[in-house]
Amino acid sequence: MNPVVVSADMITPYGLGVNACWKGLLSGETAISPVTRFITTSFQSNVAGTISGMSYHGRESLVMQMLGSLFRAGGVVIPEDAKLVLATTKGEIDFLEMSVLHKTNDASKSAIRFLLDQVVELTGARGGGLVVSAACTSSAAAAARAAAMIRNGHADCVLVVACDSVTEFIYSGFSSLMALDKAPARPFDKSRAGLSVGEAAAFALLMSPERAAHEKRPVLGELAGWGLSDDANHMTGPSRESEGLILAITKALKSAGCTIDDIGVIAAHGTGTMYNDAMEMRAFRAVFKNSIRPVYSLKGGIGHTMGAAGLVEMIIALQALRKTLVPPTVNMREPDDDARGWVSSGPQPIARGTMALVTNAGFSGVNTALVIKS
Amino acid sequence: MNSITLKGIGWLTKEGYGCIRSGLRQRFEPGETAHMLLKKGIFSHPFKNFGRLDTLSRMTAYAVALALQDAGIEYMPGKKQDIGIIGTNSEGSLQSDLEYFEDYVNSGRTLSRGNLFIYTLPSSPVGESAIHFGLLGPLLYAAGEGNSLAPLLDNAVEMLLSGETPIVLVGTAEEHEGLYFVLDNASGPDRPLLCDIGVARTITDSDHDITAMVQKFSFVEAGKA
Repeated sequence: MNPVVVSADMITPYGLGVNACWKGLLSGETAISPVTRFITTSFQSNVAGTISGMSYHGRESLVMQMLGSLFRAGGVVIPEDAKLVLATTKGEIDFLEMSVLHKTNDASKSAIRFLLDQVVELTGARGGGLVVSAACTSSAAAAARAAAMIRNGHADCVLVVACDSVTEFIYSGFSSLMALDKAPARPFDKSRAGLSVGEAAAFALLMSPERAAHEKRPVLGELAGWGLSDDANHMTGPSRESEGLILAITKALKSAGCTIDDIGVIAAHGTGTMYNDAMEMRAFRAVFKNSIRPVYSLKGGIGHTMGAAGLVEMIIALQALRKTLVPPTVNMREPDDDARGWVSSGPQPIARGTMALVTNAGFSGVNTALVIKS
Repeated sequence: MNSITLKGIGWLTKEGYGCIRSGLRQRFEPGETAHMLLKKGIFSHPFKNFGRLDTLSRMTAYAVALALQDAGIEYMPGKKQDIGIIGTNSEGSLQSDLEYFEDYVNSGRTLSRGNLFIYTLPSSPVGESAIHFGLLGPLLYAAGEGNSLAPLLDNAVEMLLSGETPIVLVGTAEEHEGLYFVLDNASGPDRPLLCDIGVARTITDSDHDITAMVQKFSFVEAGKA
């Protein structure tokens, strides 16, 4: 009994809504732009994927402004008995910034447990809440946890919410690690030089097929399988052997009861760093035995949305399956040798009825793989 | 009815440290703290760059070492194991967040230290343990409403039932204390175990205090004799 996705939405640097992100990606234009939120002169880069119209260091945190856009507009019906799994890496870290810089807020309010309480209030999902944080795999891991609850019969309705924002705290950190590209990120490109930080919020409402049918909910797709692993290798660098991601993908395929022949497209993590993209291509080549699949990354379009990345990518992958179209990898001009033939700067068709593999990786060597079908 | 069981527990508090199944229970001498466990040879193999770790990562590593020892799971050099780890605490990475950002602000908002930034993720403490102990399974930080370990145990059970991994470490670590469980889903009447998950949940649901939980699990273990 695989969970089905009955409702999903997002806000990204392309704007509010899944369609805004989808259209932005298909346009091939990046939404990554110069940062105006804080001074970047000391940093390695000055660009990021930010959402316009938000107030920085105001009364409400950036992530709550994003989530407010998603849930306060109306039209989203979240059952009160839904369990909630919230994914984030840094949540309301702007509150801590305000505390240290201006003494105008309480740093302890930035703890992610506080955000969980607010998201319960905002969404009305009162069936029990859990916040999950697993670096840049956070929301993919959260989706996996929600799916496991439904598959094991411990829940029949789970709301997965994900969010992270671009702040000076995060930007300075990635800059200190020399992880930022001066230009907007160029995933899988021969001349890629790092990632661009991005921000987003997203949600997916998962239900058991029985409950979805009973409530006459439209089914957007199915979360058919998942696999989580760790490289157990290095805090910031991915494994040079890719064994962790290979393990996660292998587990996800097994969990979905499918084989590599069922996978028609791969939504990669594709951060744009030399090491991540090479690690992923090594894993894809190993698992798919060098049999080419279309691979794409969203991060040239919206930046690396950190804890929100996995869920945004899962929702866009569902859209890709429904539209039978692989979105382009924005900013990729000349594919690196190991990605040639797999990654494209233009949209490509997908065979109807195929499944998508969504991969993510993050600090501490964490890896996730989700298998979805429409 | 599932076959999820506890294979071992490692714990440490301000007063001492120990394991439940093995019966190890050691009080700190006056002036000693948990951070002297490194010198006591708690790790079976050298912990690379231990001095770089933040406090929560160190406490997590101590508790995980004791829990694995109690479960009879040995580190195998060069052979990583499919073991998951789910960790929690009361404040996430708040102290490391403050340490990183205050250092950055105090340096004039021009330079920041990557080695401090690494620990601003709530999942970094379990990440350090995964690297040291060679844990290849699922890894995440999780926290429910309140300070209960119950939602973590539920997630561990789901991981085991779903076949995501055969063994999961679940626990908490704070500045002065830590507690980690080893759960598995193996079957067989002769395998060593502490108690089933139902008993464990009863204890963790009724007490959130580590010393009280250790006491109750020790009674369970003693009752088997």
